[in-house]
Amino acid sequence: MAIKFGGEFEVKRTPEEVYDFLTDPKKFAPLLPDFQSMTVQDATHFKVKVNVGISYIKGAADVRMELTEADRPKRAQYKGNGRVSGGNVSLTAGFDLSPSDSGTKVAWQGEAQVFGGLASVAGGLLEPLGQKNLQKLIDGLQTALQ
Amino acid sequence: MSPEADKRNWVGKSLPRKEENRLLRGRGKFSDDIKLREMLYLRFIRSPYAHAKIVGIDVSGAEALPGVVYALTGTEVAQETQPFIEIGPDPFAKIKDYPLAVSKVRYQGEPLAAVVAESPALADDAAELVQVEYDPLDPVVDAENALTNKSILHEEAGTNLVWNGIFEYGDIEKAFRDAAYVVKVDHLHFHRFSSTPLENNVVIAQWNRKDERIYYQCNNSFPSFAIQFLAAHLGVHIDRIRVETSDIGGSFGIKITSYPQMAVCALASKKAGGRPVKWVETRSEHITSSAHGNERTFRDTRVALDKNGVITAIASRHIDDCGAYPRYEPLGCVIWSQVFPGVYRFKNARIDFSQAVTNKCPVGPNRGYSRMQHLWFLERVVDICAHELDIPADEMRLRNYIRPDEFPYTTPNGCVYDSGNYPKMLQLAKDLIGWDDWKKKQVTAREQGRLIGIGIGTTLDSGTNNFGQSQIVNPFLPYSGNSQGANCKLDIYGEVVVAVGSCPQGQGHETTAAQVVADVLNIHPDLITVRTGFDTERNVHTGFSGTYASQFAVSGLSAVHGAAQKLKAEMKRLAAFVLKTKEDDLEFGTGAQGPEIRAKGTGKSINYWGLANLVNANSAALPPELYELTLNCRYIWRAPFKVPDTKKKYGSLTLTYAAQLHMAVVEVDCDTYIPRILDYVAVDDCGTVINPPIVEGQVYGATAHGIGAALMENCVYDAVGNMLTSTFSDYIPITAVSMPNVKYGHIETPSPHSYSGAKGMGEGGAAPIHTISAALQDALFASGIIIDDSFNNADSLFRALTAKEISQADKLVKVEKRV
Repeated sequence: MAIKFGGEFEVKRTPEEVYDFLTDPKKFAPLLPDFQSMTVQDATHFKVKVNVGISYIKGAADVRMELTEADRPKRAQYKGNGRVSGGNVSLTAGFDLSPSDSGTKVAWQGEAQVFGGLASVAGGLLEPLGQKNLQKLIDGLQTALQ
Repeated sequence: MSPEADKRNWVGKSLPRKEENRLLRGRGKFSDDIKLREMLYLRFIRSPYAHAKIVGIDVSGAEALPGVVYALTGTEVAQETQPFIEIGPDPFAKIKDYPLAVSKVRYQGEPLAAVVAESPALADDAAELVQVEYDPLDPVVDAENALTNKSILHEEAGTNLVWNGIFEYGDIEKAFRDAAYVVKVDHLHFHRFSSTPLENNVVIAQWNRKDERIYYQCNNSFPSFAIQFLAAHLGVHIDRIRVETSDIGGSFGIKITSYPQMAVCALASKKAGGRPVKWVETRSEHITSSAHGNERTFRDTRVALDKNGVITAIASRHIDDCGAYPRYEPLGCVIWSQVFPGVYRFKNARIDFSQAVTNKCPVGPNRGYSRMQHLWFLERVVDICAHELDIPADEMRLRNYIRPDEFPYTTPNGCVYDSGNYPKMLQLAKDLIGWDDWKKKQVTAREQGRLIGIGIGTTLDSGTNNFGQSQIVNPFLPYSGNSQGANCKLDIYGEVVVAVGSCPQGQGHETTAAQVVADVLNIHPDLITVRTGFDTERNVHTGFSGTYASQFAVSGLSAVHGAAQKLKAEMKRLAAFVLKTKEDDLEFGTGAQGPEIRAKGTGKSINYWGLANLVNANSAALPPELYELTLNCRYIWRAPFKVPDTKKKYGSLTLTYAAQLHMAVVEVDCDTYIPRILDYVAVDDCGTVINPPIVEGQVYGATAHGIGAALMENCVYDAVGNMLTSTFSDYIPITAVSMPNVKYGHIETPSPHSYSGAKGMGEGGAAPIHTISAALQDALFASGIIIDDSFNNADSLFRALTAKEISQADKLVKVEKRV
């Protein structure tokens, strides 16, 4: 069950500034919805713990994140895998940066995949929930980069 | 036939089930009722992925939890055991199937570790603490895609193709050359569903360190098969495994394949120093991970017909999906051919049959195992041809049915249909449903814009397998024929005690076995005790013992009958000595002191206690020539089979052929697309009926199962192998609320192949699937729809009728007319 998202927004920062923000786990990770804590392993790997609530399935998800593409100041992509009660999740989130009149245009693409019983139990709720949480992330990014 | 024909006082009577007194009062004993001292509880850790490498398993968190005894991983199991034996030939014989996944998981829900704790709740908590790191692989969820081998499930095999064989009989080319019509059907699909027993799988295992024996108390429904797999896997002699079953709350075949869980529980007990370990399956585990029925796709079907619509040949390519591990497969690759032509007379056929593994739950025998898929295919073919050639559905059947005067009928592949009268069943069904009235109502309804169809489904329930057919899939297998054991004795106080090798799950074996013995000894069935449940220690089982494949009425009761006849013969010798008369002058009956044997015309008699006493407690009075009598008679019944010709795939594969003919009137709601059954008839022929209410009950149960499968129950997987129907919210089992009123009828065409004329029955679960497909076809043919899937609900009917995404006749069917 793959859920795909995408969109774009503009911020009044240079592509280099945006790129540096996105690729710094300490700045990026706290913007993840319902962020609890994080552990940085190295420059491209970190673990985050986020709260998850899907209908009556509530708990915390441990997600291993990896910065898989880093092309300063054009593109950054994260891949993550995590475990949540009732299943596993994997996600990718990519950001393509290009200069714009006001600063930088950020074109983003995301894909979340759910594995396990969670897909069956909460399948119908995942898409709207994912949409909501990704919007939170993007809103947070925009705010932080303004 | 028996050496001495019984007077039928009890066989055929509507005797209330002996089991009901205990089962309906809640006094049954099921596996989960068993509590043993120092018992531990096991919980599996299951994969969320359909296909992934196991990078690492960390059980330290679970083992640190107070009350957790230990955790077991696939790696540890692989170090201590051998992979399960494979039924199929190379290259699939090379795969390594362990009860816990070792280096990779191959279906969502596959167990890869287990935790054992002092309580079920602790085991649940501990299972949550096991950390598993996966590296996901490309999943394959479609059997046809699997055959491209782009993603291989079992590297040892190097292919996803489990088995392929061509079943060809007659002269196909000539039949197509001479055909007046050729109907081509691009594809048909039989969906994946399962059974919903009230009681899930339960295993209690104890690896006793004092005698190094393994004791099982469980609800496996084919224990003699299970212990063969377990002995080889665990590296113990088969005699060191004791299996006991007690009351079982339904199986429908699905509980045959619980041996992997049985293996893990035994290993867990061994690791716990011999403490008993219990595993009770949850409902979600059952739905996702026990076993499903086989899914099958039928490709490139061609049907040759003469100018009267008589089918002369069928050619097709069938692809079976057996899930992630073959386990009971590839037996299904030949078992369907027990009913090769269904109920029809065509002689020329070519079926190219393949089976593939996919990243889905392994399949297992499921009521109507492997045959119902094929029979549904044939019924769809007949039904589609009838509509395309504008031949009424009933007339099409009559033109193609095997005729009553052709029985015993030898099929193109050498099976012998023992008896039957399909036209008579059709007429009875038409009378019960009011065929002519419904036809008139249908015309009126269509004028009103309503979509109503009347469907006919004819199916066969082939019972008592010739296990020699297993050599068609693998010539090196050491199985052939079929046998069942039973024991009948007078115990020390003269009680008649019967033991059988079956493990009934609601089929009333306790009652029907008593009826058979009652007729042999001319006593009331209540005077007979039948030991129910399987127990290796009773020594009445053979390699084929269990309850499956519609065979108890033939194999089980034949064994019981044989044992009772042996006991009767011994009792007569003994009574003749005591009563100083000839054996021919003795009669069996019940007197003032219970069951007895009387010397005719003398007034002398001896009761059963007296007879048993002579052998067991008063033996000094016995002359030496009677020392051989034991009054404890074991009998092994053997079916009169030969090993089939494995190259030609020809031979008698099953002993009896019960038949079911169902008829349904179905309406598709034009606004909601919900299909509703307006009327339903089930006609059954299982030869001589031993106990009418038991037969009728099984017909209702099978009908419910089939209606559920046709309209409600579907194992849906998404593209990455998530099973989306893992709870009763989405996998909706049929209940009484959803059942139509079923009008029941039956005929009896006694089988010449069984001592009583009975045929095995209970697996006619497919008939409703055929019937509802046919009724929907009748309702929707005018709308350009071909019913190409065995599962139809409001969603699929909407997609066909309005969205026109599926089931479009112009894309599925082509008719070549040469007349």
